[in-house]
Amino acid sequence: MSDSIYKEIVIDIRGQVCPSTLLATMAEMNEHQKELLNGEISLLIISDNRHAIATIPETARNMGYRVEVKQELGFYSIRIGHENGN
Amino acid sequence: MYIAGLLMGIVAGFVMHRSDYCVTGMFRDAILFKNFFMLRSLLLQVTVSMIFFETLRRSHFLPLFPFPLLAPPALSNIVGGMVFGLGMVLAGGCVVGTLYKLGAGSLISATAFLGLILGSALYAELHPWWASLVRQTVLTKEALTLPALLNIDPTLVILTVALPASWLCIRWWQTGRLTINTSVRGYLQPWKAALILAVIGASSYVAIGMPMGITNTYAKFAAIIENAIIPAHVSRNPFFAAQPLDIVHPASGALLHGGAGPALDSIWTIQFPLIAGIILGSFISALLLKEYLWHTRIPGRQLAMAFIGGIILALGSRMTPGCNIWHLMGGLPILALSSLLFVIGLLPGAWLGSKILTRVVMSSSRG
Repeated sequence: MSDSIYKEIVIDIRGQVCPSTLLATMAEMNEHQKELLNGEISLLIISDNRHAIATIPETARNMGYRVEVKQELGFYSIRIGHENGN
Repeated sequence: MYIAGLLMGIVAGFVMHRSDYCVTGMFRDAILFKNFFMLRSLLLQVTVSMIFFETLRRSHFLPLFPFPLLAPPALSNIVGGMVFGLGMVLAGGCVVGTLYKLGAGSLISATAFLGLILGSALYAELHPWWASLVRQTVLTKEALTLPALLNIDPTLVILTVALPASWLCIRWWQTGRLTINTSVRGYLQPWKAALILAVIGASSYVAIGMPMGITNTYAKFAAIIENAIIPAHVSRNPFFAAQPLDIVHPASGALLHGGAGPALDSIWTIQFPLIAGIILGSFISALLLKEYLWHTRIPGRQLAMAFIGGIILALGSRMTPGCNIWHLMGGLPILALSSLLFVIGLLPGAWLGSKILTRVVMSSSRG
């Protein structure tokens, strides 16, 4: 990935107060809307907040993003990007 | 009684962890994100509890009605509700939410828990002053519930509220607005948690004469700790000396007697197993899901906010008096006036908390 222009922004929210996960995700999505939509970057959100993991994918999908949720050991990761991205 | 409380607590804690049934979050997300998904489940729980309680009352299973420790309506209920609403949002959970999150390994909630105990100790010092304010703002001593105030048959008033509310819940159910699609491990749809908690609430009312409540025991924790250090001060404190619970349960003949002081009385017997159970139930749930992990890399500002939030939350819960679980899942279903006033205060308090919380989180969450 290092030799492409594709970039991933990682935000680790594990252990933080609710609703940090959603607030931080929304802020990143707004800040990088253009790059996210044309597939230049993707977001990787790492969180242990069950409610956030349950609700964020739907919110992001409604905004037109592609969302992938992965179960890790003791936490979850959500990758938010665009159909054109990788 | 000890075992029954512990079992109810374990089930409640387990269920709350599975669906992340956070009452604070329900109000906060509605205010911050206009997201009413979780709040719909709470309304379902209140509606079902309403029908349960009224059915049980009419079948003579609730000889203590309205339940003991329910305060007469006072304007102080609104102020207490506001303080409570502010505190719960800053603490990241209410008095019960803090327990199930603590059980699942949240450092934020463990910090808020310490704040809750300190706040309870602080309230004991302020109690004489606040109690006189409460006495001056009592609206009526004659009626504890809305049906009593209106002097109308409770069943009629309950049905007037519960029927349209039930219709609304059924509509939500039919249009899929009570469920969410998710890949979260072992997720329990919040509407199922709402029904289970309504059953536990009703069981609690039948078994111990009161709906679920735990805040007095936070004060008791504070009293026990203080009593070990400065016993003379505790024995002089009028809040710790008061015995607000003093009644014989007509069905079981059990003498329910106690207060916030350090003694291990009926309040302790009723509430402590519930507290321990909620923490344990959530711990078991998190362990089974392999999600029990303490994450410690947390911004200091958030920990400070949770601690201060816990203190404010404890002050609110004693000022009201009662917590949101007690009022929303116990008082509201019987249309208790003090609970209605509590909710009126809770909303602006939670709004203020949400504004402060957003600032703190935005300045700290992304490092």
